[in-house]
Amino acid sequence: MNRGLIVFILLAAAVPMLAGVAGLPRPGDPQAPVHAHVAAHYVKEGVRESGAANLVTGVLLNYRAFDTFGEVMVIFAALAAVTGVSSVPPGQRPGESGGRNDSPRPVSPPISPVVAFIIRCTAPFIALFAAFVIFKGHVHPGGGFQGGVILGALLMMLSVVFGRGTRDPLVPPPLAAWLQAAAPLTFAAVAVVGVLLTGYLLGFPGAALGPVRTLMMIALELGIAVGSAVIILGLFQHMRGD
Amino acid sequence: MVGLWLNIDYAAFVALFCIGLYVVLAKQNLIKKLLGLNIMETAVFAFIVTSGMVDFGAAPIISDDTTGPFASPLPHALILTGIVVALSITALALSLIVEIYRRCGTIEADELKGVE
Amino acid sequence: MELWLPLAAAVPLVAGALTPAIARRHPGLARPWALAVAAWVLAAAVQLTRRVVLEGPFSYPLGGWARPYGIELRFDEFSAVAVVIAMVAGLVLVYSGPYMRLALRATRLPWYYSLLLINLGGLVGFVTTGDLFNLFVFMEIVSVSSYALVAVAGGRIAPLAAFKYLMAGAVSSALILFCIGVLHALTGTLNMADIAARLATAEAPAPILLALAGLTAGLLVKSALFPMHAWLPDAHASAPSPVSAMLSALVVKVGVFGLLRVYPMFAAVDVVRLAPMYEILAWLGALSIVAGALLALFQQDIKLMLAYSTISNIGYIVLGIGLANELGMTGAGIHIANHAIIKATLFLAAGAIIHQTGRRTLHALRGVGHVMPWTCLALAVGVFSIVGLPPTVGFPGKWYLALGALEAGRPGFAVVLLAGAVLIFVYYIRILNAFYFRSPSEVGMLSVREAPVAMLLPVLVLAALCLAGGLLGRWPAMLIGPAIARLPGGG
Repeated sequence: MNRGLIVFILLAAAVPMLAGVAGLPRPGDPQAPVHAHVAAHYVKEGVRESGAANLVTGVLLNYRAFDTFGEVMVIFAALAAVTGVSSVPPGQRPGESGGRNDSPRPVSPPISPVVAFIIRCTAPFIALFAAFVIFKGHVHPGGGFQGGVILGALLMMLSVVFGRGTRDPLVPPPLAAWLQAAAPLTFAAVAVVGVLLTGYLLGFPGAALGPVRTLMMIALELGIAVGSAVIILGLFQHMRGD
Repeated sequence: MVGLWLNIDYAAFVALFCIGLYVVLAKQNLIKKLLGLNIMETAVFAFIVTSGMVDFGAAPIISDDTTGPFASPLPHALILTGIVVALSITALALSLIVEIYRRCGTIEADELKGVE
Repeated sequence: MELWLPLAAAVPLVAGALTPAIARRHPGLARPWALAVAAWVLAAAVQLTRRVVLEGPFSYPLGGWARPYGIELRFDEFSAVAVVIAMVAGLVLVYSGPYMRLALRATRLPWYYSLLLINLGGLVGFVTTGDLFNLFVFMEIVSVSSYALVAVAGGRIAPLAAFKYLMAGAVSSALILFCIGVLHALTGTLNMADIAARLATAEAPAPILLALAGLTAGLLVKSALFPMHAWLPDAHASAPSPVSAMLSALVVKVGVFGLLRVYPMFAAVDVVRLAPMYEILAWLGALSIVAGALLALFQQDIKLMLAYSTISNIGYIVLGIGLANELGMTGAGIHIANHAIIKATLFLAAGAIIHQTGRRTLHALRGVGHVMPWTCLALAVGVFSIVGLPPTVGFPGKWYLALGALEAGRPGFAVVLLAGAVLIFVYYIRILNAFYFRSPSEVGMLSVREAPVAMLLPVLVLAALCLAGGLLGRWPAMLIGPAIARLPGGG
């Protein structure tokens, strides 16, 4: 793309965007339409209707749960994509003799014992933090995705430290396949429970069945977290060439 | 212009968006293009979150002792979804770059044009 | 049952997520599982269409939340295209069996079918939602699975083509998300009907114009309108043939269908005039018709030719929207569905020919009409359909478009339509000429056999639909009439 075309495209993008953005209400204006309508309802009634003190979790899991379902499907599609796309580098296909002369496979260096020791020591604390973020997600900043990412990072570190590769992966393949589908499955289960309790798909019972509602939300958080963590581990393993 | 000065935050994010767009269009290395894409997406997320802020407002977590205006929870939910989508696209793009390197031996766009 | 609407999108998605787990030990289970799900989706789509024909548009409030506070799913006359989506996806699944058994390792097969199911679920969800952000989420589901499908078992340059596709798609998605943010900042809500009501009372014209222009630009890049088409030819041509069919027939329509969904939001706005935007669309559409047809003329690879033809046909649809009258928009609307059937026929038939002969260029495929008679017959039916000859299904769309151009007082556009049809005719006649009336240039051609039944059957079914669809006459136009009337300029 030559310089002139790039400048033209950038100007064609920047000028309308700046002009349009100048006409928006000032960010932070309490009278702006953003705070007047749907958001005002969420702030006023959100805790009572959705059962989550963290309104963002209430919006994600209760009011707009279908969007969150779409989002977990995008993560799963990413895993399916990376799995489908990555081809096995030569020298790694099962059945080939261990001819390493021509394959440019990056051999991972042995992990320093200091690093391994520190990771092993801190792993339980990281896992505890992840669990805290997941289970307190509906009353405290946090939630399923955030906890899932922390858990996923922990699993990635552990897979590096234990360094077993394809022959003995961190999560055994049959279990991994089902865990990766954990998030959509949890959504399906909670949706069915919602239909039975309220007659609407992804509906949540009202304050009368408060504990059930909280349990459903925690189940969703857990499902999202475990699913995301195992998918992130799967992405990491595929990119490493396992 | 007064409007633009009042909304200087928005103008900054538009500038960031255009910087990201420049990187996507002008750089030849595929990973740099991907980074430019991430910059663009970050600019959009920042824009959306800023639009939900309130002056002297608190985070939208209601407990017994929090009062006063709360920021709108809706933009936060939107960008959470957006961030996860951006994560998925980045993961897929990186694995595609690895695959391109395996097949064609280069990840510079101008060299790849000749390979096709 | 009320639940048909939300389940129509949710079931294929969950089923797609389960496919790798179910088929891990027995990869051969993946295809029957996917076929069963696709059949269910088709039944659901037919059921929903029947309901919209009898009662008119209806919605489903997810979670029981009232309209702007929760996500509202909405099935209107445009959503009836879900029937075509499910049909094409099902036939592509049947076709994929023999094709993918050769192209993919057995352990990868469940992931391919998983991606196809997720793509199907995303498309159905895209056409059945009434919430702007939900629209975006489903658009991303379709996009991510499409980027992946291009690269799975594609040709040598498939990963590069997939990467270019990903870049173009992700940049346009970022722009679309930005404009959704602008609309949210203006109105405070994400429900499309609610935004329409609130924009009518908004005062500042600049942000509304930005949202309109940005959404249009982003959606047109996703539809590969000329000159933003650069990502399409390689992506559609180097993908495996069943994937090419899905992409050219369905996924590329996400952009123009998005235009049909998004424009009613701006219908009642008085501070911004839509006429200039429609003018731009009409000119870009006309440019695309001619450019796509001309570029296709110079291709030797049959799949590249079909890919450029898709760009040309998207031009027809955008021109129809840009004419801003009822006839033009009706032509655009029915061409979205009709072109899907035609392009699927063409890509699957061409794919069968490539699969059996191992050759892709016109020169090398000379004489194939004699050794693969049924496949080439279906291809010929597809050719006549895409030229727009009556009584095939390609005729009604172009007829309405031409009438719309004349009624809008723009006979020039009608001439462009005709020119496009003539150009298409020329290059497709080249194909038929090479297949039937030239002697084979390759020795191997004489020993080529007809395609296997699992690949031949979908091709023949689609060819039959090309003929039968044309016999439906005015019914599709009457079906989407009320929805067209709701578009700005369509009533």
